[in-house]
Amino acid sequence: MTEKDKPAGLTADDINHLLEQFEASDWRELDLRVGDTHLFVSKDGQARGIDRGPSATPAPPSAAAASVPEPATAVPPAPAPQTAAGAPDHWVAVKAPNLGTFYRSPKPGAPPYVEEGQTVEADTEVCLIEVMKLFTPVTGGVAGTVRRICVSDGEMVEHDQPLLYIEPA
Amino acid sequence: MPIRRLFVANRGEIALRVVRAAQSLNIETVLGVSAADRDGLGAETADRTVALGPAPAGKSYLDTRLVVHAALATGCDAVHPGYGFLSERAEFAKLCEDEGLIFVGPRPETIDQVGDKLRARELAQRNGVPLVPGSPLLTDANDAADAADELGYPVVMKASAGGGGKGMFVARSRDEIAASFERASNEAQSAFGDGSLYLERYIETARHVEVQILGDGEGGVWHFGERDCSVQRRYQKVVEEAPCAAMPEAVRTKLHAAAVDLAAGVHYRNAGTVEFLYDVDRQDFHFIEVNARIQVEHPVTEMATGRDLVACQLRMAGGEDLGLSQNDICIDGHAIEVRINAEDPSHDFRPSPGRITGWRPPTGEHVRLDSHCTADSLIPPFYDSMIGKLIVYGDDRTQAVQRLQTALDAFEIEGIATNLPLQRFIAAHPDFAANRIDTRWLEQTGLPAFAQDEDS
Repeated sequence: MTEKDKPAGLTADDINHLLEQFEASDWRELDLRVGDTHLFVSKDGQARGIDRGPSATPAPPSAAAASVPEPATAVPPAPAPQTAAGAPDHWVAVKAPNLGTFYRSPKPGAPPYVEEGQTVEADTEVCLIEVMKLFTPVTGGVAGTVRRICVSDGEMVEHDQPLLYIEPA
Repeated sequence: MPIRRLFVANRGEIALRVVRAAQSLNIETVLGVSAADRDGLGAETADRTVALGPAPAGKSYLDTRLVVHAALATGCDAVHPGYGFLSERAEFAKLCEDEGLIFVGPRPETIDQVGDKLRARELAQRNGVPLVPGSPLLTDANDAADAADELGYPVVMKASAGGGGKGMFVARSRDEIAASFERASNEAQSAFGDGSLYLERYIETARHVEVQILGDGEGGVWHFGERDCSVQRRYQKVVEEAPCAAMPEAVRTKLHAAAVDLAAGVHYRNAGTVEFLYDVDRQDFHFIEVNARIQVEHPVTEMATGRDLVACQLRMAGGEDLGLSQNDICIDGHAIEVRINAEDPSHDFRPSPGRITGWRPPTGEHVRLDSHCTADSLIPPFYDSMIGKLIVYGDDRTQAVQRLQTALDAFEIEGIATNLPLQRFIAAHPDFAANRIDTRWLEQTGLPAFAQDEDS
């Protein structure tokens, strides 16, 4: 994933991946330095955070990532690492079944399938994934409240990428 | 227009090979992977990696539309299909081109034409390339028996849509025809969705030889000499060499000309291989098929000619005139490749996916290793079992065989079973050293001797 001449560091993809694994683990904190990147993530609202002393003010209860280097390549950067960050444990991620283009509405100009805060059933269609003009609706798979929509309309998503989060009822 | 950003639509060693060739030409690379291949040397080496879909190939590497969508969405202008997977699917090449992507390979029509064995045989015939005496398409077992009587026994039944040895059965007398026909037809139907069969005369002592070609798409074709891939198991190549040391020069010259004529006849574009059976007793060769892709064994040709074939593919696909003259392409010395597979030759070649815990490949200036594996690679169970290719070079075949033995002895892989013990046994066998090999040697002599050696 890293360009071969770039100093060793973490790409946005790496961080996404780490965050996913961190989320799935029972670890409380992750403090990682790779090259010029320093990644600090905590599930603890009282965590010390980055560049703060042990007795510093509480960090916000979200994962914090700092000094992520911009990919030094002309290849378009991977989707922003906003996916898993800060989603509480009990929220359920609706993930992309395959690579494709993410659409929030059934057709251009139509209202989105769902908005943040909206209540959904397990079989409610929440978005579309398009592969070469073939549109496949994605259902949430769980009843609850849409808490976060992670991807913007028309963006390319990869297999297994979180698209939105539902807080189960 | 030169390729700017290349989508690599494959996995394993060939994906890495293509990425590196592209990088040597300053072409950006995007690798499409399945969920099982997210981590690995290919993903680490490519400029960008995107996850196509879940591990099963049908939902990732083999999904034509998904791969083209990924190439377009990542801003690529070309697609390299490697070998296997979508490499010889004409509809994939066509979809790429319809969407404005350069397909690094032959034209879709050519893939279609040479992919159908009967059409390929017609093509060979039209261009004066000798065929193994054979029948037209068979209607039923009676038709097959009559055709076999005419050709003379033994005969081999083949699937029209076939490949990889599937749907192929030998009949040594008229009595065996009915059973062979039924089995071949059923296997062809289930493997290719097409049960059509034809018959060929069966050559008792044959070598598998093939000619590497490169075409400019306008009738200009260069050859890069021949390879000998006679060490086979169930029609799968195990060891490959360049050149075919057992072939007299006069036959070799005719062989190269036949391959070039055939490819020129379709205005072949990009890299391909024309495969022949060499009848050792008659010193005569017969056309088998055309492989419309870069092949697994291309490195032996690269070692013997000093040419980077994958780079040639990319430059040609980008519209560059390679300025090649046939006289510039010289075969010098001898190269041998052995395929390293995650399979256990002591237990009926059962696949052995799992975690590699030790990986110490041989090194040296005459040794090349094409592999995506490292000391902690996970070999997923979903795909082909090949984990690498070891290639050695020598001034002549004798020296190459010696270097192969040394390199194989030094190669250590831990954590999973591999076919290294079998490859060491072959390399050290007197028949192999003396080049007394034919396409049935491994199954009839090599493997029984290997089993006996293991028991003792």
